[in-house]
Amino acid sequence: MRVSKLPARKARILALRYLGAGVVTLLFLFPVYWLFMISFKTPDEIYHVPPLWIPGQIQFSNYYVLFKDGDVLAILNSLIVASVSSGIAIVLGTLCAYSLARFGTGGENLAMWIISQRMIPPIAVVFPIFLIYVYFGLVDSYFGLILLYTAFNLPYVIWMMRGYIVDVPLELEESALVDGLNRWEVIWKVVFPMVRPGLMATSVFTFAFAWNDFLFALVLTRTEVITFPVMLTHYFGGQSNFWAKIAAMSVLGTLPIFVAVSVMQRYLVRGISLGAVKG
Amino acid sequence: MADVKLSGVHKYYGNVHAVRGVDLTITDGEFAVLVGPSGCGKSTLLRTIAGLEDPDSGAIAIGGAVVNDLRPRERNIAMVFQNYALYPYLTVNENIAFGLRARKTPEIEIRKRVSEAAEMLGIGNLLQRYPRQLSGGQRQRVAIGRAIVRKADLFLFDEPLSNLDAQLRDEMRAEIKRLHHEITTTMIYVTHDQIEAMTLADRIVLLRDGKIEQQGAPLELFEQPRTGFVAGFLGSPSINLIPATLKTDGPVAAVVFQSGGELKLPSAKAMSLAGAQGREILVGIRPQHFSRAGGGPLRNGVVSYSAVADLIQPTGTRTFTTIKIGGVDAVAELQAHDVRSHGERIDLAIDLNRVVLIDPVSGVVIA
Amino acid sequence: MTLSASLNGAEQRRPSRLGRMLEDRLPYLIVAPAILILLLVGLFPLIYSLIVSFQRITMTENDTTFVGLLNYAELFRDTRLWASLGHTAIITAIALPLELLIGFLMAQLFIDRMPGRQIFLALLVLPTVISPIVAGATWRLMFDVRFGPIGQILSFIAGEPVRILWTVNPAYVYPAIIICEVWQWSPFMFLLLLAALSNVDPSQLEAAEIDGASYLRVLRAIVLPAIAPVIAVACLIRGLDLVRIFDIIWTLTEGGPGSMTETISLYTYVQGFSQFETSYTAAISFLVIALLTVITTLVLKRMELAR
Repeated sequence: MRVSKLPARKARILALRYLGAGVVTLLFLFPVYWLFMISFKTPDEIYHVPPLWIPGQIQFSNYYVLFKDGDVLAILNSLIVASVSSGIAIVLGTLCAYSLARFGTGGENLAMWIISQRMIPPIAVVFPIFLIYVYFGLVDSYFGLILLYTAFNLPYVIWMMRGYIVDVPLELEESALVDGLNRWEVIWKVVFPMVRPGLMATSVFTFAFAWNDFLFALVLTRTEVITFPVMLTHYFGGQSNFWAKIAAMSVLGTLPIFVAVSVMQRYLVRGISLGAVKG
Repeated sequence: MADVKLSGVHKYYGNVHAVRGVDLTITDGEFAVLVGPSGCGKSTLLRTIAGLEDPDSGAIAIGGAVVNDLRPRERNIAMVFQNYALYPYLTVNENIAFGLRARKTPEIEIRKRVSEAAEMLGIGNLLQRYPRQLSGGQRQRVAIGRAIVRKADLFLFDEPLSNLDAQLRDEMRAEIKRLHHEITTTMIYVTHDQIEAMTLADRIVLLRDGKIEQQGAPLELFEQPRTGFVAGFLGSPSINLIPATLKTDGPVAAVVFQSGGELKLPSAKAMSLAGAQGREILVGIRPQHFSRAGGGPLRNGVVSYSAVADLIQPTGTRTFTTIKIGGVDAVAELQAHDVRSHGERIDLAIDLNRVVLIDPVSGVVIA
Repeated sequence: MTLSASLNGAEQRRPSRLGRMLEDRLPYLIVAPAILILLLVGLFPLIYSLIVSFQRITMTENDTTFVGLLNYAELFRDTRLWASLGHTAIITAIALPLELLIGFLMAQLFIDRMPGRQIFLALLVLPTVISPIVAGATWRLMFDVRFGPIGQILSFIAGEPVRILWTVNPAYVYPAIIICEVWQWSPFMFLLLLAALSNVDPSQLEAAEIDGASYLRVLRAIVLPAIAPVIAVACLIRGLDLVRIFDIIWTLTEGGPGSMTETISLYTYVQGFSQFETSYTAAISFLVIALLTVITTLVLKRMELAR
């Protein structure tokens, strides 16, 4: 009797959990679904009252318009700025992190100062940076935006990579030193391969930071290096909003991040918790 | 190949004086074992020889040349680490070849040496695997292989067997000894395990608190310890130390236990004790120097002692029996069937020819 | 013979003087570029801003005479500033506990293994990783009074037409912002708490189960203490983000109606880039930094205590 009852109870609980999981997922994904769906709708379908939940057909004219009008250049700008800046931040930050982790350079104070840089709210520095950029003619330049994102990503990279490097057994490096490598070679041939998962995960987050940033891009770009979030806000008008463009642009701007994060899912938790949870 | 000479080596970690003036000469081709309890400075000393730590003072010479200013890679040494230090992202083959590649050895030479070493260690079939696919013993072999191919002047081992289970440890110990016979390179081996030290070493260097307590051939240290510490560190189960008082009368000497009862010392021991009447001492008797008295006449220097067996720990070949002697617990190592049950009264013979008498204050062996 | 040969070998490997110097200085050489950039882009603007905050620079006048704490005194008379801080506090105080609670409930739902769990997790991460601007835009589409699905669903439930101007009507702007915020960041809390919960020692839970402890008791005595450090870190990270909330408001309400949803970040932006009150903006920036420093220190102190 009891033997047959127990699995039945377990099955019921499992069914309830699937139901809960389904409802939660539905709630959280519905807005994303709505966004995707609008990007495939024709104007008639978008401005239909009551709203249509399923487009009549999947058609790509909203995307086509973005390409035709050159709006996708904003995506390209974002791609350039985000990848170059996170590349530089990763290399410089990891080297710095190695020094902090292995030689204790600057002591605990330097490490604390670096992470405190991460806590500075962008709004507090964006204005003076803007004034300085105007002075040096860096506004609306790739260099200016890349420099800024590099600087804002560096504390994060240093903090995260320091954690990953500390996890590398010291003996691996010592063994390489005895075997005939110099310090530079040790970093390149032993440390970098050992922290490669950490490097990849951290790059996803630095890339995402630069990719998703709006405030700096809003202030420091004009026409040439407009990034996609800034471009997106241009579609909002006082009276009429260009829903089709907003939706299509949003989808384009979400896909790269979603792909990167899906690949790196394993490291997500350590990354977003600033290393507090080693997932 | 090379000899190693340390003179006046000191090393501090902040306020901790880890190595306190070590002078040591290890001759070419010798297998030296640095042994001692944890924190005695043995690993620090080894790392200083490797160049991974800089000594705060003193000179280190390898092959007659002072190497203080040389980097680890410039000292032409090879080192095997406790946790093997294998690169997880490289195959066994690449791990073994790593040091050779670092030194820009020609590819043909690399392949030759790697296969030689792999054959010597019986890991030829594992070359394409990654470290995570290996067992502990196999990883250890790879780590040793990585050192062998370097054909270094000096081999350093930092507790290489301590991460292995007991059976593998015995196996690898024999392997390392065999290896030393084959390649005859000077080896310095750090361990806290006195059995490893005894079995492997040509010379044991016993360290305590950053200083050399005693060095010499294994049996020399075992049989003629200079201090109570040495006597206590070597041997398993460890030596029994029983507090007593000396009683001398001309050429005759005896130890008197505080709980009463006395044992007459053999004349060879007694000779050096003239005039030490009434001196407090610790009597050091190794468990092996007890035996079941056979009833026949006793050899010179062997005395009889009657005791009650308390704790009995059979190991199969021998049985460790705890008895009371001089008011303290002592362990006697007897034949397997010498003692049967708890509380049994047994007649023992104690070989006092090999007893050590220790000054309880200074810890120095006086006879 | 072998000895001298090997020593020669060692000598050959000895690097050049320059190489040796570069290796000796390596700890500093590899720190330098990163620190330089941080000083240049992080610290230099702050110092510049500090100086400017003691001057009297506006859109029309470039008056660089030092006026002491005049700008800072001005802060205390600026009602719009304090209102914006109030708005920020309201949003933070409501959104943060909500995100924590929803995240915790979601984590409880997914803590046990079940087939397809990874797929659910991958999907639920989505809101958190998209750009806040996209999140804001998405919810603006959702909230649209005529073409959005929210009004349609509410009408269906109510059985009569419901017409709410979510991003304009003073009664609904805060709920709109908080819904969007909670939607985007609850999954963040969920991920962290899920990881923390999976790290709770299972033998402790089993021991409690054998002892017959109730669910609430286990939660209070074992689970919460175990995940408290993670909760603290999560709240710190999210709290700091909420205090500087900008993007979502920019797309949803632009601070309106009037300045009803104007947060401190938005107000600073307006002062700097619409009014061009250079010196005054600098003073506001330092107020914000001071506030965040206090909050961070307090939270970190609490965390120290919890350990």
